[in-house]
Amino acid sequence: MDQSFSNEPPPSDERKQSAPVVVRTRFPVARIKKIMQADDDIGKVAQATPLVVAKALELFMISLVQESCAQARLRNAKRVSPAHLKEAVLKTEQFDFLADTVSKYLDPVAVSSEKEPGPGRGRRRKNAAE
Amino acid sequence: MSDREIASDDLSLPKATVQKIVSEIIPSDLVFSRDARDALIECCVEFIGLISTQANDIAENETKKTIASEHVIKALQELGFSDYIEPVREVIQEHKESQKGRERKIGKFEASGMTEEELLRKQEELFGLARSKLQHDEAVQ
Repeated sequence: MDQSFSNEPPPSDERKQSAPVVVRTRFPVARIKKIMQADDDIGKVAQATPLVVAKALELFMISLVQESCAQARLRNAKRVSPAHLKEAVLKTEQFDFLADTVSKYLDPVAVSSEKEPGPGRGRRRKNAAE
Repeated sequence: MSDREIASDDLSLPKATVQKIVSEIIPSDLVFSRDARDALIECCVEFIGLISTQANDIAENETKKTIASEHVIKALQELGFSDYIEPVREVIQEHKESQKGRERKIGKFEASGMTEEELLRKQEELFGLARSKLQHDEAVQ
C-alpha cells in the first residue's frame, strides 16, 4: 500500500485525490476501549493503548474507504456501496481477515459489464452499480 | 473465529462520527451509501477485535497482564500492518509528552525532598507542637 499519512493540511481545493488524507475527526477512545474489552479474553489495557488502537483504526479506515472508492470509480458509480467495499476487501491482502464479514454483501457487477444491471439477490436496489 | 457476541448496535462505533470521518476521506464527487457506512463500521469493529486479540496474545506470551502500546505495535507488525507503525509511534510520543506535563504539577511533593513517611512524621511533629502550645496557652490563662 502506498499511502503517506502526513500531518500537513491539504491544499484548499480538490484535496482528496492527490494530497495525502488528513483526518481531523477523532474516534471516541472510551468506546474503543469498551469494544476491546467486550471480548472476555481481553483484560487490562494500558492508558495509551486505546489511543494507539484508535490511530491504527483511522489508518485502516482511510485505506478501506479509499480502496472502496477506487472500486466504485472503476464501475462509474457515484455511490459507494457495500459491494464496492467487498471488492476492495477481496482484492487487498491486508484485508483478508474481513473475507467472512463481507461474504454476505452483494457481489459487485463485473467491471466489463457495468452498463447491464446485475442479477441482483433480492436486496432493495435493482442496479448494483448505483 | 471467536465466539464473542456483541449485541447489534450495542458496542459499535457512533455512526455520525464514522460518517464525518468518511466525508473527510472521500473525493467530493462520490457519496458513501448508508449501507456502505454500516458495512464499514462492521469492518472497523472486526479490525479492533483482530488487533486486540493479537496484542492480547503477545502480552500473555510476555506474561504481562496489561496490554501495552508495544504489544499493539507487535500485533500490527505480525498482522501485516507495519505501515501503520510509524504514525502509531507518533501518537505514543505525543501521549508521553502530555503525561510529562501533568507530572510537573505534582512538583511540590517532589520538591520537599522527603518521602511520604518523612512528611507524615513531620506533620505529626507539627501537630504535637501545636497541641502543646495550645495547652500551654490555656494553662497560662
